[in-house]
Amino acid sequence: MNPARLTLGPLLYNWSAEAVRDFYFRIADEADIDTVCIGEVVCAKRAPFLAPQLPEIVRRLTAAGKEVVLSTLALVMSAADLNLIAETATDDGVLIEANDVSAAALAGGRPFVAGPLLNIYNEDTLACFAGMGAIRACLPAELPATAIATLAESASIPLEIQAFGRLPLAVSARCYAARSRSLAKDGCRFVCAQDPDGMPVDTLDGVPFLAVNGTQTLSHHYLSLLGMLAPLRQAGIDRFRLWPQTVDMVAVADLFRRTLAGDLDPAEAGDRLADLCPGRDFADGYIHGREGRVLVDMEMAD
Amino acid sequence: MNQQRPELVCPAGTPAALKTAIEAGADAVYVGFRDETNARNFPGLNFSRPELKDAIGLAHRNGAKVLVAINTFPRAGATDIWHRAVDDAVTLGADALILADIGLLAYAAERHPEARLHLSVQAAASNPASIRFYAERFGVRRVVLPRVLTVAEIKALNAEIAPIETEVFVFGGLCVMAEGRCALSSYATGQSPNSNGVCSPAAAVRYVETETGTASMLGEITVNHFRHDEPAGYPTLCKGRFVAQDQASYLFEEPTSLNTLGLLPDLIDAGITAFKIEGRQRGRAYVAAVVSAFRQGVDAVLAGGTPPVASLDAIVEGGRETAGAYRKAWR
Amino acid sequence: MGPLNEAAGPATVGSNNRPFTPSLLLGLALRPVPLALIQPALDALVAAVRRRHPDLLERVSAYADSGICIDPTDLPFVLLLTLDPARPRLTARRALEPGEASATIRGSLDALIALTDGKVDGDALFFTRKLIIEGDTEIVVALRNAIDGADIDLTEDLAATCGPLAGPVRSLIRVAAGVIGRLGQDMEAVRATVIAPALARAEMQSARIAAVERDVARLRRTGSGR
Repeated sequence: MNPARLTLGPLLYNWSAEAVRDFYFRIADEADIDTVCIGEVVCAKRAPFLAPQLPEIVRRLTAAGKEVVLSTLALVMSAADLNLIAETATDDGVLIEANDVSAAALAGGRPFVAGPLLNIYNEDTLACFAGMGAIRACLPAELPATAIATLAESASIPLEIQAFGRLPLAVSARCYAARSRSLAKDGCRFVCAQDPDGMPVDTLDGVPFLAVNGTQTLSHHYLSLLGMLAPLRQAGIDRFRLWPQTVDMVAVADLFRRTLAGDLDPAEAGDRLADLCPGRDFADGYIHGREGRVLVDMEMAD
Repeated sequence: MNQQRPELVCPAGTPAALKTAIEAGADAVYVGFRDETNARNFPGLNFSRPELKDAIGLAHRNGAKVLVAINTFPRAGATDIWHRAVDDAVTLGADALILADIGLLAYAAERHPEARLHLSVQAAASNPASIRFYAERFGVRRVVLPRVLTVAEIKALNAEIAPIETEVFVFGGLCVMAEGRCALSSYATGQSPNSNGVCSPAAAVRYVETETGTASMLGEITVNHFRHDEPAGYPTLCKGRFVAQDQASYLFEEPTSLNTLGLLPDLIDAGITAFKIEGRQRGRAYVAAVVSAFRQGVDAVLAGGTPPVASLDAIVEGGRETAGAYRKAWR
Repeated sequence: MGPLNEAAGPATVGSNNRPFTPSLLLGLALRPVPLALIQPALDALVAAVRRRHPDLLERVSAYADSGICIDPTDLPFVLLLTLDPARPRLTARRALEPGEASATIRGSLDALIALTDGKVDGDALFFTRKLIIEGDTEIVVALRNAIDGADIDLTEDLAATCGPLAGPVRSLIRVAAGVIGRLGQDMEAVRATVIAPALARAEMQSARIAAVERDVARLRRTGSGR
């Protein structure tokens, strides 16, 4: 069995420049994480905020021994978006994570990571991406364990599974952070910055349901697969992705690392994770072939 | 002004609807098999193999084409179901296959190099780089564009990707999220368009009559509550009423239908090859009304006139219409 | 299952949901008369549709065990549709017992007939609130799709059962929907205003007997259920 690896997914939210810098520096200095993804995935309008400090963050992460991956935009519509992706994708010194078919195509046979927002549902599609140069693939959120196991069996490249954080559920051309504040996307005043962990969306009867991050819709629940790490390892999954949230991600990574190593009982780890994420609800329905919002692994329930 | 005659591509969930669409002036009709291989896998809907054979015969006798949508993402370990659908559609004489999954496109391109392949909207190919990839790699001839681009963007795109054809939605249910990249339905119900060919599956839908109106529920999620005097909509999550910023509202989109009758001159000018009407799950009455309205509209514009005003208010969701993403202000 | 039962509303669905005057309620106790008149027409209709549109039942074959309550809001009775491919049935009933129907479709008779004939779109009726659906939505959607796909024409289908008499029958049926509707309403009004008061005492007696019969039937069901 290959050693288990942890990937930090790209920060999806619009944090202040200072908060982004502090976050990644702390990850570089303190987190037991193998790979760090960084890049604006959600909204092209935000990309200019990250660009100026990207080189410094990448240097710091690389110096700390982390593999750095540049994640690309999910919904690519303008020529400017494409140019930006083309520039990164053809830079031999950079490993990109493609979150749209365009990025994978623009890589032109260079190695890339197939991102979780590509639709890899079956072995044929996985093989196609591997043939295009994908060196590993992070699978979509809604795949059940049965499909994951089938894919792992046939995969010629390592597979990564989303294991912690809000699930990316949808992307849109329309901005709901702006819309909820009666603004148009063009004049959005970057109000998404007010939602560093997503804007809560409840049902009419007050049930917390979704979280909005500008043009992206995420789950209200934090995914936690702490209880599924062992079976997923058995199925041949080597990599686990943690999505950055406004909680102590260094501590979260530590819990996953120790659980993967067998140093921590999954139930105990679950309790500690709940302590690290006060007021958050957890779900794991997808991996069990159920609706994504339910919690099947009751050891995670309070 | 570009005067290419756009093909009118119309929905049919049943053989009766296919007949209706052709009578109303459809140039092409798109259909699916009665299973999970297509994105309108609704109970009681779609075509058996013998029905498709007859439907293709009827369409061809009347000068219309039949496009077969096999546009869900094949399940790992069960891809043979989707492979069989591709093989059967080709054998039965389909004029084109509408596919979304890269692995399935690879299969179709390899096994049936003579088949005409269209890229489903579920692949959400929204830019020239993606579109060229599908064309160069799998020989895709036409791309159904996701509903995220403005008319101006589509026109520019067409100029860039020619001779690859584009097809756009001109009427019907409107996905607010990028198609094929939305898991809202499975988050609430376990069933998604990508995996199961259903959004908000009927089995998970309940309407609960209350004192003041009707609540629509999807699984355990309250999607909306309509007062008795309010028009209703589909129980899809993106058209639901939710509370955000301490306010109940249609956060994503109002219950509404796309209607571009008024935009037809611009759409024709944009060099689009085919206009698509959504609604394989709708009845014959809908097909007849919408197809005739667009047949007349397209013919009128091509003859140098303006599209006649057709009242489609009664059949649209929520009694409301929108030009959707085709106008930039929608974003 | 809890929420589903809630969705089905009160213990009995159908006519009982509508407000009735006390005299009309008395009239309702006169059960068999109009329904017995309607039933043969319904049987003929089912037989005709079954023969002329075999694909309809095939499309809903997954729901063979389910009953659907069709509730024309302007008629004093409901129709129970069962979809067993070997023995589909459309039965006129005053009201249904709990659990008999897994879904209810409610709308005016006009709307329901237009829907069956494919002259209006089911979603459109729903959007404009002219159609109300309760219970198992999936079976309703399946039925709607199957009926729409069957190219049904109620008039033609019924007339076709009559051989050489098709012509006259066709013209008779053309007004049948309205007539049945009016008949139902008229009978109800007549019963409510004229017959019922006269029979009040007898009615109360038979209502009491009916109540006892229902209780016995319920006890029997409970017993056999165990």
